[in-house]
Amino acid sequence: MDYIYSILTLTGITMIGVMGTYMVTGLTGQFSFGQAAFMAVGGYVSAMLTLRFNLPFPVVVLAGSVAATLTGLLVGMPTIRLRRDYISLVTFGFGEAIISVLNNSAQLTGGAEGLVGIPKRVDLPLVAVSVVCCLFLVACYKNSKFGRQSLALRTDELAARSMGIDVNRMKLVTFLFASAITGYAGVLYAFYSQYLEPGYYNWTVSAEWLIIVFVGGINSLTGAMVSAVILTGLPELLRFASAWRILIYCIIVLLIINYRPNGIFGDWEISRLWKRRKAVQGGRA
Amino acid sequence: MNSSIATPSTCGLLEVSGLSKSFGGVKAVDGFSFDAKPGEIVGIIGPNGAGKTTVFNLVTGVYTPDSGSVRLDGVELSGWRQDVIAREGIGRTFQNIRLFKGLSVLENVMTASDPYAPYNFLSAILSMPAKRAADRQATGQAREYLDLVGLGGMEEARPESLPYGLQRKLELARALAIRPKVILLDEPAAGLNPSEVREFIDLVRRLHERFNFTIVFIEHRMEVVMNLSHKLFVLSFGKLLASGEPEVVRRNPAVIEAYIGDEE
Repeated sequence: MDYIYSILTLTGITMIGVMGTYMVTGLTGQFSFGQAAFMAVGGYVSAMLTLRFNLPFPVVVLAGSVAATLTGLLVGMPTIRLRRDYISLVTFGFGEAIISVLNNSAQLTGGAEGLVGIPKRVDLPLVAVSVVCCLFLVACYKNSKFGRQSLALRTDELAARSMGIDVNRMKLVTFLFASAITGYAGVLYAFYSQYLEPGYYNWTVSAEWLIIVFVGGINSLTGAMVSAVILTGLPELLRFASAWRILIYCIIVLLIINYRPNGIFGDWEISRLWKRRKAVQGGRA
Repeated sequence: MNSSIATPSTCGLLEVSGLSKSFGGVKAVDGFSFDAKPGEIVGIIGPNGAGKTTVFNLVTGVYTPDSGSVRLDGVELSGWRQDVIAREGIGRTFQNIRLFKGLSVLENVMTASDPYAPYNFLSAILSMPAKRAADRQATGQAREYLDLVGLGGMEEARPESLPYGLQRKLELARALAIRPKVILLDEPAAGLNPSEVREFIDLVRRLHERFNFTIVFIEHRMEVVMNLSHKLFVLSFGKLLASGEPEVVRRNPAVIEAYIGDEE
């Protein structure tokens, strides 16, 4: 039971992390290979504030997200003007740099041995509520002027500019919101696992989130969430085939990308069901 | 008709003078000047590769001119950012249709009002009443623009699923929705069949009557050029070759030569 509980909790946290990647990649079309680093910033800042100053939990949650957002500003300001392939490089470098810093400032962060003794403040219900709340915020964002402008510039920056859209500003705003959400996922992880180590946040995690978004459907939040559940759960389900599970996982991902290049859901959103029903009712009335 | 989108403007004076742009060693546009008075329909014609689209890209800020000036109602725009120029009131369509594929037909048009939408980040992510009211209004307006070009009822369709002619109309509706003082149309009739071309000419006339904006268009179809334009500018190898009333320009020997070559 504990085992299932823990898988569900970690899946929930991954879902929130994937929401950040979805925004950066799905909405504005940038590739961030350093998204997990924002999770590290959120986690470490909140954990260290608790261990050193014993601040109340809501305060460190806020601090963790704000720290991740500020880090996002630091990375985003100079890189957002770059072409998308360069952005992947910069975010990749940034992510690895953060890990380096965490490893090398051992007095503060515990270095490679990790940060221990974080109190347990997060359980499954809190993660579940967090997933729902974050999902609501991100879905509203997508469905607002911010989401529309981001999606517009993703398909065609030049045309977006000709509509009066401030492309760089919009990319930055979305990037910052994504940083905040990812930072929050980091806080949840820190106070759930009670232990942090830099190695957990390297680029493979960011890449995994990207894979999740692509498998689910680049333009679909619904898809990203469904695929987060499937792909985080899958390695666990495949545990019986321990030696083969990474291989099987990769084959499944390859098959999906090959036969559904737009991802499982393409740009379909679950909210369309609801919209259509409303339209049908409106038509009858 | 009580509509929220009619904006009969009395402005829209576009003056372009001495515009030049080189790419590497090639002078794409070389000291080109033209002007369009408020409410005028101006055509720019010229052989392939004459630099017509480059002129549009210079006017709208896609490229920064090497020299020359672009003034809208007396305000100097050259050197400004592309999105700022758009918000100043210059709308455009593209030669190769550039719609937003990730968005529905309706949302494509809504992007025009989004840069001005009166709500902030917080009301967006919490979907507060202010946001919903603003989006409702924007939806209503976008629908009106779609009705205007004959795309009513296709709001939820994906732009890439529309037939070519309708995609052109959608791009036009999207450009209209930024409420431009001047609208630039880059080969708007390219790829349309003869009956669509006639329909298109009527549509532009109707829109022009309704909004009274200034129109500058690039076109190869003589039917469109002769039917719509009040004034013509001929561009050849980046330079102004001739200008004036359409009938006069059409008989100009230099223009005929540029189009079909010297007889010798």
